[in-house]
Amino acid sequence: MKFRVPIFDIKNLSFVVKGQTILSNISLEIFRSEYIAIIGPNGGGKTTLIRMLLGLEKPTSGEVKIYGKKLSNFKEWHKIGYVPQRASHVDASFPATVLDIVKMGRTSQRSMFGAFSELDNQLVNDAMLKMDIVDLKDKMIGTLSGGQRQRAMIARALASKPEILILDEPNTGVDAVSQKKFYALLRELNKKEGITIVFITHDIGVIADDIARLFTINQKAVICNNPKQTLSCEEMSELYGIDAHLLHVHKHEH
Amino acid sequence: MLEMFEYDFMQRAFAAGIIIAILASVSGTFVVLRRYSMISETLAHSALVGVAVGLVAGFNPLWMAVVFAVISAWLIEYLRSAFTLYSDAVLAILLSGSLAIAVIIVSLGGAFNNSLFSYLFGSILSVSSEDVVTIAIFGSISLGALLLFSKEFYFIAYDEEVAKTSGIKVNLLNFLLVSVVAVIIALSIRVVGSLLIGALMIIPTIAALQFRVGFLKTVIISLVFALLSVAAGMTLSFYFSLPSGATIVLCVLFIFILSLISNRR
Repeated sequence: MKFRVPIFDIKNLSFVVKGQTILSNISLEIFRSEYIAIIGPNGGGKTTLIRMLLGLEKPTSGEVKIYGKKLSNFKEWHKIGYVPQRASHVDASFPATVLDIVKMGRTSQRSMFGAFSELDNQLVNDAMLKMDIVDLKDKMIGTLSGGQRQRAMIARALASKPEILILDEPNTGVDAVSQKKFYALLRELNKKEGITIVFITHDIGVIADDIARLFTINQKAVICNNPKQTLSCEEMSELYGIDAHLLHVHKHEH
Repeated sequence: MLEMFEYDFMQRAFAAGIIIAILASVSGTFVVLRRYSMISETLAHSALVGVAVGLVAGFNPLWMAVVFAVISAWLIEYLRSAFTLYSDAVLAILLSGSLAIAVIIVSLGGAFNNSLFSYLFGSILSVSSEDVVTIAIFGSISLGALLLFSKEFYFIAYDEEVAKTSGIKVNLLNFLLVSVVAVIIALSIRVVGSLLIGALMIIPTIAALQFRVGFLKTVIISLVFALLSVAAGMTLSFYFSLPSGATIVLCVLFIFILSLISNRR
């Protein structure tokens, strides 16, 4: 069996704020080209976990390694594209066109004294093509719909040519049609381009067929290696801290 | 109208004013987008402490203003990042504290006179050749730093956390931005005055934002508005014997109101 080095290697991670335990002793690994979904109740620590992976929060104890390096020694941040929860909620008065936003994705890699290079512009254009927003490039970000903004934010993340895409419920406030397209796009990025996807979502039913593994986070982590397998009532009750009952819904095709 | 340029002091004031208009509007764009608007007021008052020390101790007040404004900027940034204090409260504390210290220093030193008044409200009569050279040298360095890292500052203003996760050294650049803003404010108080420089830094950008255009166009509109305000303000100041800082600020306010009306939806 081929030995696989994890992109993210998380060991015994805990996060405590003012005596309140947000995450407790989490250990997990994320491998290249995996599609991971993270679910769990609000306040369960999903976003905190992501923020620790990105170095935005320091763990109380435990360790995060990226590509085998400690976070403090990791320099290749362009390999990681991050789309935060608030991505589709923008300050309408901020002076930014869609092109301005997508170009931000190249900022950390441009030469220090130079403007954007031809390669930078090419990658920006490729990202906009992939997200189907070339026609919107001169539109102000504040005038776009939630779905269009979401695509602009993902294009920004893709412009850095990431190997990993981390998304924290970026589809909040986005209409159903745009969401469907969004899930199809994530599937394509994972399957065709081999981009590792880590996706916090509540819509687990919709993407169950696409994902490789499911992490359920509520202070502790439960790793499900077969996400198509339905979570039991007991597991759901433990995860969400409420009584859960399975409902059988019969679908009618029209 | 060109007769005012027959006077050396008006040539100096215009040279200094144009440099300040460029510096204030370009840095002001980042300050407003970063939601740091109140920092300009606080740094202007900190610069006044430097002026007071300079006047009392016999050092160049403009140089001392630069030193004190930069120290204050670092203190603000440090307090905000290290202690997660309410940032507006930090600014308010330093603003009133600085003003109190400045007033006490000049009172004790017996320098409470027209010289201090000119630093509070700006005076085109008081701009010396040495001031113009200082403003030009420090101003060029400040503008260079702003332009060099403009893309990073812009990204940080839009989304600091995503900028950080993309590998941009956000903390370092935040310190750089407040330092540059501090230098620009200290340089500007000769012409515009410490009580009014905040307006020249903030209002042109707010007026430009009314046009709802992209970043580069917003910077250019803001720059044009600042240049127009300084030129018109100084001209009116010369012909009607008005304080230059106040006249410039009224001109920029007039432009802001016009922008607001013309872009009403």
